[in-house]
Parts: sequence; structure tokens; C-alpha cells
Amino acid sequence: MKHFGKTLTLISLAVLLLLISAGSASGKILFNDTIAEGDGYQINNYVIDVAEVFPDYDSVTLHVYEGASKTPKYDKMISVDGSYKFAIEGEDVEVTVISVHSGIVPRTKLLITVTDGSFINSKTLGVVSGGHTEAEFSGTPVLEITKTVDMDRIGAGDVVTVQVSVKNTGDDEATKVIFSDPTPAKFVLQQTLISPTGQISLDKGETRLIYTYTLKATESGTFVLSPTTAIYSNSIGDDFPQASSNTPVITVEDSSKKANLDITLAVDEYTVDRKDDLQGTIRIKNTGESSASAVTVNLIVPTGMEYSDGDSGIEIISGVPTIYMESFGIQQEKEISFSLKAMDEGTYTLSTQNSYRFSDGVDPTPQIASSTSVTNAIYVKKGKYDHLLEQPVYIYLIPLIVIGVIAGLLFHRHRQYKF
Amino acid sequence: MLNILIIGNGQCGNRILDAINRDAFGTKSRFAKYLSHQKYKSNVQTIAINTAVNDLKEMNFTKAKDRIHTPHLHGVGANRNVGKHVFEDNKTLIMKNIQERGNFDVAFVITSASGGTGSSFTPMLIKELKQKCNYPIYAIVVLPFREEGTLYLQNAAFCLKDMRDSGVDGIILADNQFLKQMGGNVESAYNGINDMIARRLLFLLDALDSEMMMVTDLGDFKTVMSGGAGVATIGFYEADSEMPIRSVIKKALSPEGLLFSTDAYQEASRSMIIIRGDRKYMSIDEVSSEVEQLSSSVGQVFKGIIVRNDELPQVLTVLTLESAVELEKLYAIAVEAINYERQKKERVDSMKEMDKAFSQIDGMDPSY
Repeated sequence: MKHFGKTLTLISLAVLLLLISAGSASGKILFNDTIAEGDGYQINNYVIDVAEVFPDYDSVTLHVYEGASKTPKYDKMISVDGSYKFAIEGEDVEVTVISVHSGIVPRTKLLITVTDGSFINSKTLGVVSGGHTEAEFSGTPVLEITKTVDMDRIGAGDVVTVQVSVKNTGDDEATKVIFSDPTPAKFVLQQTLISPTGQISLDKGETRLIYTYTLKATESGTFVLSPTTAIYSNSIGDDFPQASSNTPVITVEDSSKKANLDITLAVDEYTVDRKDDLQGTIRIKNTGESSASAVTVNLIVPTGMEYSDGDSGIEIISGVPTIYMESFGIQQEKEISFSLKAMDEGTYTLSTQNSYRFSDGVDPTPQIASSTSVTNAIYVKKGKYDHLLEQPVYIYLIPLIVIGVIAGLLFHRHRQYKF
Repeated sequence: MLNILIIGNGQCGNRILDAINRDAFGTKSRFAKYLSHQKYKSNVQTIAINTAVNDLKEMNFTKAKDRIHTPHLHGVGANRNVGKHVFEDNKTLIMKNIQERGNFDVAFVITSASGGTGSSFTPMLIKELKQKCNYPIYAIVVLPFREEGTLYLQNAAFCLKDMRDSGVDGIILADNQFLKQMGGNVESAYNGINDMIARRLLFLLDALDSEMMMVTDLGDFKTVMSGGAGVATIGFYEADSEMPIRSVIKKALSPEGLLFSTDAYQEASRSMIIIRGDRKYMSIDEVSSEVEQLSSSVGQVFKGIIVRNDELPQVLTVLTLESAVELEKLYAIAVEAINYERQKKERVDSMKEMDKAFSQIDGMDPSY
């Protein structure tokens, strides 16, 4: 029983010590040192100025300023071992006067704690010599980027001027501003008149023309220009999210002159007997506004059909019937005939692979166009005498042998009687 | 089975031989030689001999190996003397060909008496054969139309004489003059005569090698042919509808059935009658009655009967003749022809005197 009472006493003592230590802790210690009269201690946009030190009275007058305000938000005289608690951005900051010291410049030792210091910017934390008037406060620059085009409806090959300007509408200078402005697809950068060189800074309220360049449209369509973006920091080097410009829309109308070859492929019959001939026609017409060159039409003859003959315009190149024309004028028409032989039963389609070049008057390099023409299904059915080929060999062999024997016999008889 | 040799000499002999070979196919179709076989009962060998190659080429049913061409221009031009020389020149070739075919039981040599090649070759050929072979040889001799000309009549007269002198075992006569009673154009008449001779000979060959109800054989045929004056003829009749056998026999012995004009009952020396047909026609009474009637005039009549179901009656008669009035008439005309030719030759010779007149200007040219 005596032993149990001793243990209980030890446990009660330990709990008591734990409670004592918990009661004396008020959060994270930001500062625990001496600070001269006239200096201050900055926590973000707040500066705790040591306005006056009264060694004789063991007291200190503290002024708490918010931002660049000239009027303190809090004005407190605190005795040694006294403390003052106020809130910054929702967190409690407690200033405890540890001691005061006399001298040419009186000093005081302060203990500054905060319940949670995670909100505190390290760049705006610490002793400020000269107090709040010398403190540097951070702001938020806001960049508004505006991208404009001089024409939103142009023709292919036309040139459009793009301007990008930026305005800092925030309350702090924007520093280390870096712009990015991608060249849009289907446009060619013609000339750059203005562009930023490296990083720039923008004072608050400043507007600046960043880019001026010209683009040449290469293709028709409606195109949305990608936004011009900027990354930047504020005056104390805090980075801010990327700012983006608007995205102008440019409609490029097709003003190029293209060659357009209508190449059609047709046959005279779509159901033929095996071994029959098939007449085909390739018609080529340039319905475009530009002449074509290097016109190539490859006739793809499926396995089971055989190219027999064709007009002089068809050459066999590497086994492929090919039509090649050096040039083909606007509205020119040409009809080329050929014949095929259906060799095997089946369903086939005849096709051509076509390609040609033309100059559209926009792009200096020749344009290449290709297409494919396909006929409807061509049915090759059994030939008139195909059924004969389906018979067993002996069906042919026996009559042939009989005929051969008879012919031999007749010839023998003929020779016997031929004088 | 008998081994029989048939030789056709000259154009006439070739054509009759070709007709025999054609009829042996059993059809007259020109394609028979391609589609059928000859239906000889015996082992029959045929040989065609001619100096004119065109005559040999015209043969359609005789095998090429059975045609012997003895080259002399295109025939001997009805000149028997030339023909004899040609035969002498080709005798070895001809005899070699015949002898290579082996031995025979009987031989028939068919010829025209009036032509060139046949009339000159046949007596000499028979003479050669008789010297070298021991089988009987019978000549089937076709006499000319009387109006065919003096040369033909002259040839016929000398041919028959040479034939008898050749040692032939018998001469079977066929007379174009007698057979022209058939009428028709020249070609059909010749073809008809050829067919008649061919048909009779084929019937005879068939009969000699057939099983008979009443038998006549080659021996009987030899006996018949050895009778008389050495000349014979053949009669034949085939009923074209049902008729008594008596009538058929009578027709076979009548001018309608005979190849040579003769009175069987008056001029025949020996006879053979071969009757063929369905059993129902073989009335023994009728056959006997007719045979008796003939034998009462002729003396010996050999008779044979061949029964063939569903066949109409056919009768072949072989008659050897003691005398032949028609032959005597022929020789009378032939003598006239010989005299005529002789006189003509003398006239031609006298014409040569005129050549002397022409010879006076030999080597001279006219001047104008």
C-alpha cells in the first residue's frame, strides 16, 4: 500500500510538470533579442516599431503599423514581463517585453511569438532599422495583356499586323517580366517591328507596347491566335501566375488559285464474262484556276484483270499503266481509253492514283495535290465455256484420245490408199 | 480358207479390181475404206498393174502397196507391141511383187481384151505365172464395144488368141457390147459393167469358201472351167422381191443375167449353179427341175446351195462354152478391122512418097 502511494505521487508530479510546460508555450518564436529604440520588427506588411524605451520605468512603448500607413494601428506601453497580443492575417502575434536597457540608444529585449508562421514571407520578416518608415512592403502587380490585329478578315497570302501591349494594373511593380508569343500555325512571320528584349519591369499603372509584327496567311480558314503570355514577379521577387492575353480571331479567305483536276474513271460494262474484254475511259478536266503540271495517273489494275491495250498516252512504267502529262491547262479536258481483259472470276474495283502540281500564286513552292478515283464494283462471271474447264480431266482426255485414235486410224487408212 | 489372187491389168482391169475391193467393204460409201474392213471370206490379195499412172491414181479402194506402176509415158496407147516390150522390161518387178505374196489356191486376172496395157500384159503375165506357179489361173476378159474402133477389135482378137496360148486355165468372158443393154450414159454403163463383174466374182469367191447345204468347191469350179473350148461366162441374178427359185435360176441363165451373149442350153459345155438365200426359197423340186433341165442340155451341172437367213434368193451360174456364136462374130469383125488397119498402113506408107516431093526444096529459102 505504501509502495502504491509512492508511484501515484510520481505520476501526479509528471502530469503537473507537463501541464506547466504546456501553459508557458504561446507558439513559434519569431524574435527573442534586443532591439534599439527607433527600430522596428517587420512581419509581412506589419511593422512593430519600438517607439520609446523607458529604462527607468521598465517599460516600452510599441507602435504597430500596417503597411505604409503613418498612423500606428496599435499604440501600447508595455512593462517588463508584460505582453501585448494582436492579430496579423488571422494569426495571433504576441510581443512580450523581457527587459529594457539604458544606453545612448536605449534597447529592449522582446520576445515575439506567433501561433502559426506559415503565412509569413521571409523577405518581409526581421528587424527594420529606422522603423516602419524604412520598411519595404510587397504589392501585387497585375498585368493586362492586349493582343490586337489590324484586320480580322483577310485573304490567303495577305499580311496582318499584330500588336501586343501590356498594362500593369496592380499595386506593385512587375519585375522580371518575360513574354512569350508563339507564331500561329498557317501563318508565316513576315517582319518583327517591336519585340521585348529579355526581362522587363513594369511600374504599376504603366502601359507598354510589347510586340508589333506582321504575319502572312498561308491557308484559308478561321484561325484563333494563341495568347501572348507573361510571367513576372513583384518588387520583392515574388512570382505570380502567368498572365495571358486575349486571343484574336482571324478569318483567312481563300484567295489562292488552285489547279483542280477532276479525274474520273469509268468502264463500259460492270458485268462481264471471264476472258471478255472491258473498255475503260479516264477523263481528266482541269476545273481549277491554275494550270497543273507533272500530271500523273497510275491505273491500278487488280489481280484477276489484265491490262490489254490503251491509247498512246498510256505507258507501262514498272508494270503499271501510267499517264503522264507535263502540263495541263485551265479548263483543258482529255479522255484516254484503254482495254482490260477479265482473267478470273470475282468482284473488282478499278482505281487510279492521281497526282499533280500547281502554283497557287501564294506559296512560292509548287503545291502537290493527289487523289484517287475508283470505279463501281466490276463483276466478272463465268465465261461462256468455263464450265468445260470445270470437268474432270478424263472428260477431255477420253474424247481426245478417241479422236486421236480415230484420226490416226483415218490417217493410216489414207496413207494405205494414197498412191 | 482359200488363198486367192486377183490381178487387174490395164485401165479396165484396174477399175473392175477397184470395184471388187469397194464391194468387199459391204457398202458403196466412199468412206468405207476409212470406217470398215473388207469382208473377204478368203485370204484375197489384189494387185493392180498399169503403165498409166493416172489410172492407178483413180483407184480409191485398192491399197497403194497393191498398185504396181510399170512406167511408160502415160500408157502404151492401145499398142500391144509396145505393151509387150514394157511388160518384158518390168517383168521382174511384177513377178517379184506377186511371188512375195506367197502361194495361192487360185488366181484371177482381169483385163480388157481391147486396150493396150491389159491386153498385152495379161497373156504374158499368165504365161509367166504358169511357168513359175502351180495354181490355176483364170482370166476375166472384157470384150470391147464393137463400135469402139478397129484398133480395139484387132487387139481383142489377138489378145484372146495370145491368152489361149498363154496356158491360162480358163477365160471368163464379159462383153461390153452385150452388156450395153443396161443403157445409161457412157460412164454409168462402164461403171455398171464393172459392178456386175465385181459382184459376180465376189459371189463366186464367197461361195467357194462357204459352208454349203449342197457343196460346190474350188475343185468343182476347176472341173467346170476345164470343160468346153476354154472360154466361159458367168450369169447372176438377185431377186429384188420374193419370187420362186425357178425364176431366179432362169434369169441367171438368161441374157439378163449373163456377162456374155450365149444360149446356155445350146452352147454350154459344163455348168455350175450356186444358189444363196433364205431356206424358205430353196424348193428342192424347183431347183432340181431347173438343174435337170440344164443338165439335160449341158451334161454336167455342179450345184451348190448356201442358206442365208432373211436373204432373198440369188443365183450364180458359171458356164463353159463349147462354141460361141458371138465370139465368132467378134472375130469376123476383127478380121475386117485388121484388114482395114493394114490397108490404112499401106496408104500411109504410100504417103511417104509424097515426102520426096517436099524434100526437093530442103535447104532452100523463099525470095521476095
